[in-house]
Amino acid sequence: MESSEKVLKVLAEGKGDYKLVDPDEHRRSIKQKPRGMRKKLMGLREAIERYVADGDYLVWEINYLQRGPAAAIREIIRQRKRNLWLGGKFTWVAVALLAEAGCCDRVDVGFFVSGPALTRLALEGRVKFYEYSNLVMTARLRAGAMGVSFLPVRSFGGTDGFKYSGAKLIEDPFTGKPVVVVPALNPDVALIHVHQADEFGNARIFGASISDVESALASRKVIITAEEIVSTEEIRHNPGLTKIPYFAVDAVVHQPFGSYPGECAGYYASDTEHVGEVFAAIYRDRIKEYLDKWVYSVSNEEDMFSKLVGVGKLNELRRRATIVATEGYRP
Amino acid sequence: MSLPKLHGIGEGPWRGEERASAFAEREFQVCIAARMVEDGSTYWVAGGGGPMYSVLMAKRLYAPDVVYVTEDGLVGAEPLLPFDPVMTLAAARPAYRALMWTTMSGIGDQSGVGYLDYGVLNTLQVDPYGNVNSTWLGSYPSEGRRMNGPGGADTIASVCRRLVLMTDHQRRKFVERVDFISSPGYLDGSPRARELAGLPEDTGPYAVITNWAVFDFEAESRRLRLRAIAPFVTVEQVLGEMGFRPIVPAPDEIQVLDPPTERELTILRTEMDVRGQFTDAAPDWVVWEDNQWKMVKREPQKGAGPGFI
Repeated sequence: MESSEKVLKVLAEGKGDYKLVDPDEHRRSIKQKPRGMRKKLMGLREAIERYVADGDYLVWEINYLQRGPAAAIREIIRQRKRNLWLGGKFTWVAVALLAEAGCCDRVDVGFFVSGPALTRLALEGRVKFYEYSNLVMTARLRAGAMGVSFLPVRSFGGTDGFKYSGAKLIEDPFTGKPVVVVPALNPDVALIHVHQADEFGNARIFGASISDVESALASRKVIITAEEIVSTEEIRHNPGLTKIPYFAVDAVVHQPFGSYPGECAGYYASDTEHVGEVFAAIYRDRIKEYLDKWVYSVSNEEDMFSKLVGVGKLNELRRRATIVATEGYRP
Repeated sequence: MSLPKLHGIGEGPWRGEERASAFAEREFQVCIAARMVEDGSTYWVAGGGGPMYSVLMAKRLYAPDVVYVTEDGLVGAEPLLPFDPVMTLAAARPAYRALMWTTMSGIGDQSGVGYLDYGVLNTLQVDPYGNVNSTWLGSYPSEGRRMNGPGGADTIASVCRRLVLMTDHQRRKFVERVDFISSPGYLDGSPRARELAGLPEDTGPYAVITNWAVFDFEAESRRLRLRAIAPFVTVEQVLGEMGFRPIVPAPDEIQVLDPPTERELTILRTEMDVRGQFTDAAPDWVVWEDNQWKMVKREPQKGAGPGFI
């Protein structure tokens, strides 16, 4: 065999800051997590108090409007967490809400709805944006979930996003062709809203999804909010449905309507009036009014539902989901 | 010299149908894009608006054997229409009767190895080489407006074999240089620019469809080229609303597009854009009057809003 003294060639690199990942450091933090089947049921307030710290890198799955941890995001705002770094992929309104609430100062961009508030925060330098895309952010989480420090991707090259990211263009050491590599992401905490979980954290998600499994394995701390708590016997009855294993999970919160005002596919439809209200708040620069009404003026989710939503509305949302596709959303 | 044929422009089943006598410009754009969908192909469609309506309309009327995927992990859905506002992805109605539910990585893998033929995207700004901006308007990052970011568009533009872009026909949309390349076209237009940036070979922009015109990309220069215009505008009007001059073929090589049919509009208005949130966002309306097409301004409709798809 010929000796190879080739140096890996970096052809170009982005100049964006990124959370530097050392897979062995992630392994060390994973080593600390308990392996026993331990009950992790707790309330939403306690879960956010215990597992979301100021300065954490935060990811969530899908978004505030679609099978996302909307309740958990409201609780983060209510507890006035600060200096979070957001993984802002495939998300409609959560970035604008968290940013205007003063909870974050850095955002890795995939997709979110922008508006006057985010433009203002960007221009004032109060929130710094690093440019990626939905698929590239997912690849970063995938690398983080594989326990490696980077992953090659077939997109992102040649864009201006690349220039303002942590990506590099290298000469592929195998083919010699140029290829983009993106840095792995190991978030501090992931928020994942699921259809069913047991009290240990074995979690079922019905339907298509973005990157629940990647986020769960890549993150140091995982908070599961669940529409339904099911028995471990039920989990064992159909193990193929388990997407996230209990040992990755730190907290399990029973949170019916945890995706409200969004849809939880197969369980309830979105509250279209509320969806319109939150979009209008972002486009018309009235996010503070929205937060006053839906977050700060109520003490918790139950309070919000009883004061501002009502049982009639919740029944209607469930009924609308029953009329549409239930196929595939139950075992 | 004859130009390569563009599928769906010219003869087609729509010619035998009853012609609409009044329509919104964006309705016209969706109908044109639907006719250009190539049956028997796979599509990766942006989540909502014109791209999704076009492919759904094509499946109903002209291209039943098209299978489309979306970045939320859906393969081959037969969605329950209409959607609730904003619920065009990651929701039960769009996911209905799919062939497969996977994840974003799953779709990424399918596209990465080359199973997805066409990508269809909306764009905020486009340049002569089909580069797309959806990140920032103005001088990044110190002056201007923060926009939404590429979402899945960066990957759709990178790995699908042919990229179809949709945009409003306005001077501010067609710019010599986009303010920010969020999703790649032919980059600086030089040979192999995409491959040298790490993108797969044999990919790139294929067509741009607006409410006034259809463009393709000239093979040698990779620059935007006018191919067809709406029956209610002239070539001069089309060029007058662009911030750069595309390649313009001889007048007899520029085709005139057929107006929407009643059947196309019925599907669009009753099953897709039922709230008018996509098509009513642009105020221009086209009517057949005194034996010619006329453009008239309308009052914006109640409920119309930017980006609320």
